[in-house]
This record gives sequence, structure tokens and C-alpha cells, in this order.
Amino acid sequence: MSNARVESEDVQTIEQTTTGETDERVREAWLDYEFTGETKLSTTDLDVYYGDDHALKGVSIDIPAESVTALIGPSGCGKSTFLRCLNRMNDRIAAASVDGSVELDGEEVYQDGINLVELRKRVGMVFQAPNPFPKSVRDNISYGPRKHGDIETGLLARLFGRDDREKEQELVERSLKNAALWDEVNDRLDDNALGLSGGQQQRLCIARCLATDPEVILMDEPASALDPIATAKIEDLIDDLAEEYTVVIVTHNMQQAARISDQTAVFLTGGQLVEYGDTDQIFENPRSQRVEDYITGKFG
Amino acid sequence: MSNVERTGLATDESSVGDLLPSALIAAASVAFLASWATIFQWLDETGTYLGVPLFHLLGGSLFVLAAGLVILGLGSHFGYIDGTPSGNAGMTVGVVFGLLWAVVGGLVAAQWGGNAPVVWLGGAVVFGLLGAGAALSPREDLGSTLPIALLLAMVGYVVVAGHINAGWTWTPGWTGAEFPGSELVPALVIHGSLLGIWSAAKAKRGYGAQGRQYGAYWLIGVAVFSMLGVLGLLIAFIVVQGLDVMLTGASLTGGSLHLFGVSIPWLEVPFVTNVPGGLFVDIPGVMPAVLGTLWLVLGAVSFAVPLGVGAAIFLTEYAEQGRFTQLVEVATNGLWSTPSIVFGLFGLAFLVPRISGGNSIFVGQLVLGFMLLPLVLITSREAIKAVPDEYRDASAALGVTKWETIRSVVVPAALPGVITGIILGVGRIAGETAPLLLVFGGSPFPSAGPQVLQSFRFSTTPPFVTNDALLSPASALPYQLYSSITAGVFDHPAFSSTEYGWGTALVLLLVVIGLYAVGVGSRIYFRRKLHNE
Repeated sequence: MSNARVESEDVQTIEQTTTGETDERVREAWLDYEFTGETKLSTTDLDVYYGDDHALKGVSIDIPAESVTALIGPSGCGKSTFLRCLNRMNDRIAAASVDGSVELDGEEVYQDGINLVELRKRVGMVFQAPNPFPKSVRDNISYGPRKHGDIETGLLARLFGRDDREKEQELVERSLKNAALWDEVNDRLDDNALGLSGGQQQRLCIARCLATDPEVILMDEPASALDPIATAKIEDLIDDLAEEYTVVIVTHNMQQAARISDQTAVFLTGGQLVEYGDTDQIFENPRSQRVEDYITGKFG
Repeated sequence: MSNVERTGLATDESSVGDLLPSALIAAASVAFLASWATIFQWLDETGTYLGVPLFHLLGGSLFVLAAGLVILGLGSHFGYIDGTPSGNAGMTVGVVFGLLWAVVGGLVAAQWGGNAPVVWLGGAVVFGLLGAGAALSPREDLGSTLPIALLLAMVGYVVVAGHINAGWTWTPGWTGAEFPGSELVPALVIHGSLLGIWSAAKAKRGYGAQGRQYGAYWLIGVAVFSMLGVLGLLIAFIVVQGLDVMLTGASLTGGSLHLFGVSIPWLEVPFVTNVPGGLFVDIPGVMPAVLGTLWLVLGAVSFAVPLGVGAAIFLTEYAEQGRFTQLVEVATNGLWSTPSIVFGLFGLAFLVPRISGGNSIFVGQLVLGFMLLPLVLITSREAIKAVPDEYRDASAALGVTKWETIRSVVVPAALPGVITGIILGVGRIAGETAPLLLVFGGSPFPSAGPQVLQSFRFSTTPPFVTNDALLSPASALPYQLYSSITAGVFDHPAFSSTEYGWGTALVLLLVVIGLYAVGVGSRIYFRRKLHNE
């Protein structure tokens, strides 16, 4: 297969969607998707612009609770942008502007006067590269709850008889166990987290996220910087997490999406959500021609 | 010597092409050091060493260098020494050799042809072109050895033949300056030996890319050791001059330390603990000036650090990067390069009449704080910018507010860099003299230290807190040093003004080094904490 042919095919498929014909067929396809269980997150006509760049075009999707939803698609298709809309991390990018609606349990996220602290406590996030703070393992975990005032330690707390060190220890232990890291680090909780291996650091970041007791966990390619063994551990962990939490995961790795997710949303070039459905259906019998091309490796 | 082409990847370690350059580099290094020793008059320029007059030794070493370089160049050219020379010696060598030969040509023409610009300029241009041509036209092994060897041989001949000796002076017609041979010869040998080292180092690795890399390695190495040499010389000189004065009457157990009512034997250094004058002082000391310097540094740091770090945080984390931040950056850089006497003048004209009505510690602290401020701001900004954005993202994703993130993640991660800035700045302001002359100094040799802590008075009426000592002039180490060295106004049977000045200089050096040590120690502590070392 020559490069020229791939390019022409790519251009052609984009042409088709912009003329509207194929697009309509695909839209019907993903609107049809119905899942059992209740909706945790839903977006309606979500548009994101970075300056003049229209990065995300009218995305509407309902994400079910206590399951794993994978977002796949080629680079630059807007899947990370979409993920960062769900906990308003895009607010941190000055050039980004968001239009449309995101609802968490039926409550609008993009309303005036939203409490970002409360939102991000409920919707946690794990990043592509492990980014533990240059602090001890214990301090990394208790950082969030401490800043939220849920845990008080230190001199002042002790003076006023509100020393929560037992509570902290219990929280650290629970979070690390939930992140399947407790057995590996329980003897070095006071060591600097930067001394852990890459895979351990990423699980520490997941534990740190769990410590604020979120309902939704957003993961932005959490295993892309890790070796296969560490990746397998993270995947097992995601599987366990789905029993209690709503997990939305962006991944480049289609096998990974097929392995761990319950439903899959496919974003394609241009920032459009092209197909959304059961993971098995998407990978075995995609309704959109473009999605089939992408999954079988013809373009992307 | 073999005429075999090199076959393997490795060069023979014990060949002539390897040993001769090493010997030349060693000889040139010795000549280099001996020349410096002569300039500093540790070696007698008319003396005889190893049975040979010193200048003959120096000139002879240039001769030996020249001969060695000729052997290396020709040996490589005719294939007796292995190497990978390039097609020519390169533009750098051409320019350097051209300039050297231009200088030689100009001097020779001026000496024999008269002092007309057309004569010496013509000589310089002709010789310069010849030198550059000789360096650039042949293959590298000849081009980087023969022109320099010829130059070294000429200089060596002039020195050995006694045309230039210690008593000789050169008074060129075009300037009133005199160049005595006792300094001209070592200077020539220093430059000649550096060139020889460069050339021999290139030969040692067989010219080409490897040779140039090794030549550069040696030249840069010499730069490092020269810097260390200057630093060591400076510190050693002050220590030698000041140590006797500082340790006058000092003993290990002569003093006593009063601790919880118990008196235990302790270090005694009267020069550091005594006041400069008074009826019952046998050994005058610098204690008031030490206290003055410490108060100045403390005040300046506690003024400048919160302000500088705060501004850096605002400019980096809150302000939008654009015109405004650029303007602030230019302004701070300008402020940092402003001469200290200008700060002093501002303090004298603006602060003194408004605050104390005369020289005072407080105004000195403020002025030094102004000087410290831009450096703290610049270095803190750089340090905060260098904190990875991942930390900020991670903290924001946990629902932690921006200010909490700055306080508990960004600033701790930037702290080692911030401390580096404070160390640099404190080193500068602790030794600052010019502004102190204008806004701070009273009697340079007071009979008591500033009683700042004891002088705080509190009242229920404005201004609530007063401190007479802060609003009075005092003495500081650099100020006192300046007074005793320049005016010679210190008068005491124990020391002369100069001796007292050297002692003061040594104490100032120790105080600055002590402040450095505190800073470096805390930087290491925070860096360890941060990076799990």
C-alpha cells in the first residue's frame, strides 16, 4: 500500500462526511446506542475552539455509570480535549473556549458559579505521564484531602486536638490497596515518590486520585509511557475500578480499548464523534465505513 | 618509526607520535607556570636555576617546543607518524596565526623602518597574510605546526641570545609606555607555551577532528585552571596578610562560654570579639562592624526576599505573559545593572531626609534591599518557570486551588533556585561599600556595636514601635576596611592601619563565606528533600 493511496483515501472519507451523506448514516448509528444502567455524564453539542482552531465539533454523548468507556481515534482528533472538558481542565488553557453543555448526574458543569473544587473532587483525572509530586508517597496521597480540609495534621491540628494522623494512615492504606500498590510500597511510605518506578508512579497517581473519593475517573492514555508488564497491571486495575467508579479512558491502543472497555466512542479527524456503541460491536461490526477503515488500519 | 598506514581502529599508545607531544605539553606547562611565578616575583628573573639563568631556561623551552613541533609536523607529513590530518588547519588557526604574524611583522617593520603608519601597517599586512597563508595552504599537519614553530624559535632565540634580558626595557616611539624585559619575557613565554600546548595536543591525537577536539580540551582546561588559580591566589593572599592580625591573642580555650549559668572554656579570638577602641582594649577588634554587616544583610534579605519572591510568583503564575511582563523583565534587568553608587545617591537624597534625617542602619538596609530585589526577582522567576507544568496540572485535577498549589507544590519545588539567587545577591551586598559611604556609615571604629534588639520601644501612641539604634549610623566591615586602608585614620599601638585593614578584609571574607555556607547548606537540604537523593 503506497502512502499516496492512503492519503487520498483519507481525504476522500473526510470529504464524504463534510458533504453530509455518510455522516447522517453514522449519526443515526450512534444515537441508537442504548445501554443498561443510569447515565453518569452527558454532553450535548459540545464545541471547543483553541483560538481559531475548531477542535471539537458538536459532540453529544451519554456515558453510563460504573463502567469503562474508551475514547479512541487518531492523534489530534479531539479525544483528549473532550476528556479535559469533563472536569473543566480546559479552563487552564487560556486560548480554549467551550460551547455546549456537560452534565454530571444531570447537573450542568459549565454553569456560572460552579465550584471547581467540588467538581474535580467528584471527577478525578490521571495523566499520560506519571506526575507524582516531589513529596513522600504518604504526602502524595493525602495531598488532596488535606488541601480540602478533610484531613488535618501538623502542629495547629495537634494543638486543637484535631490530629487526623490515624485517619490519614487509614486513607493512605485504602487508596494504595485500591490502586494495587500497597504490597509494593508499604515499607517506604515516607520515601520520595520520585524514587518509584514508572509503573508504580502511575499507580500512585491513580491512588492519589482515589484518595479524594471521586465518582468519575478520567484517564488520558494512562499506560502509554509504561512497559507491557506495568501496562497489564494498570489494565487489571481499571477493570477492578469499574465496579465502583465510572472510568473514561483515552487510549491510542485499540487492543487495550477492546480488552478493558464496556463501550467505545470513536473520534475521527476533524474533532467529530463518529460512532459510539458497545465495544464488541464497534470492533467486530462497526457501522461507519470510516470507523471500519480506522480500526482495520487503513487510515489514521 | 614505521611507514605503515594505520590499519586498526586504535592508535599505538607508546609511539613517538604519542609520547613526544605528551613530553612537549609537559615542558610547555612547566614553562607556563614558571613564567607566572616570575611575573609574581616568586622566581628571581636574574637568578640561576639548575645551573642556567632563568631566562635562558624559558627561552630554551620555547626552542625545544619549536623543534618538537617541527619533528611532529614533518614526521606526519612524510608518513613516519600516523595521523588523520585534514586538508588544511581550519579558519580559526588561520586567523590566529595570521594575527600573530601580523603583530610580529608590524613590530619588526616599526623597529627598523620607522614609525610611519604605512611602514608598520604594510609590514603587518604582508606578514599577516604570509602567516595565514602558511597556516592554511598546506595540509593540517604542517599548517598547524610549522608557522607556530618558526615563531617560537624566533622568540626563543631572541631571549636566549640575550637581546632581551631582565634589565632591558623597550620604549617604542609611538607610546610613552615602557616594557621592561623582566615582564615582557615571561609574558611572551606564557603565550608561546599556550600556543605550543595547543599545537602539540592536536598532534597527539593525529590531527583531524580528534586532534582538534583534544587541542580544544587542553585550551579550555587551561582556562579552568587559570580561573581556579586566580581565585586561590586571591584568597591565599588575603589569608596570608590578615591571618596574623586576626589571630592576635587568640587561643583555643582561653575564652569562656556562659551557658545556663555555667562557664565552660571556649574559643577566644579577640580580634573578632573586641571593639576597635576604648580605654581598656589591648587588642582592637571588629565586632561592631561584624554586627553592622550582619544587621545590614538581615534587613536587606527580609525586605527583598518576600517582595521579590512575591512579585516573581505574580508575574509567572497570575499575570498573562505579554507586554507587561516583558516590560517588567527589562526594568528588573536594568535595575540589576544599575551602579550601586546610584542606589546610594537615591538613598541619600530621598530616604535619608524622610526616614532618619541622617545616616542610619535602616536606610542602609533599605538601599541594599533595593539592590538585592531585582536579582531575587529574576532568579525566582526562572526557578518558578522551571517547575514542570505537570505538577500544576496534577494539583488542579485534584481540585486544589491555584494559591494552595503555588504554596504547597510550586514554591517548594522552586526553592533551591530561589535560594541560589539569594546566595548570589547576599554575596554582593555584604561587600557593598559605595552606598554605605553615603547613607549608612558613622564612625568607622565605634566603641560599641549597634544595640538593635535592645532598642525596640513600644508605645500606645503612633508610631507604636521605635528603635533608635536602627535610625543611627553604624559601621560595617567593608566600610571600616575602606576607612582604614584609604584614610589611615585607625590609630592604636597594637596594629597599624594597614594591618588592621587586612584583618578586617579576612573577617569580611569569612563572613561572606559563612553566609554562602548557610545558603548552600539550605539549598542542598531542600534539593535532597525534593529529589530523593
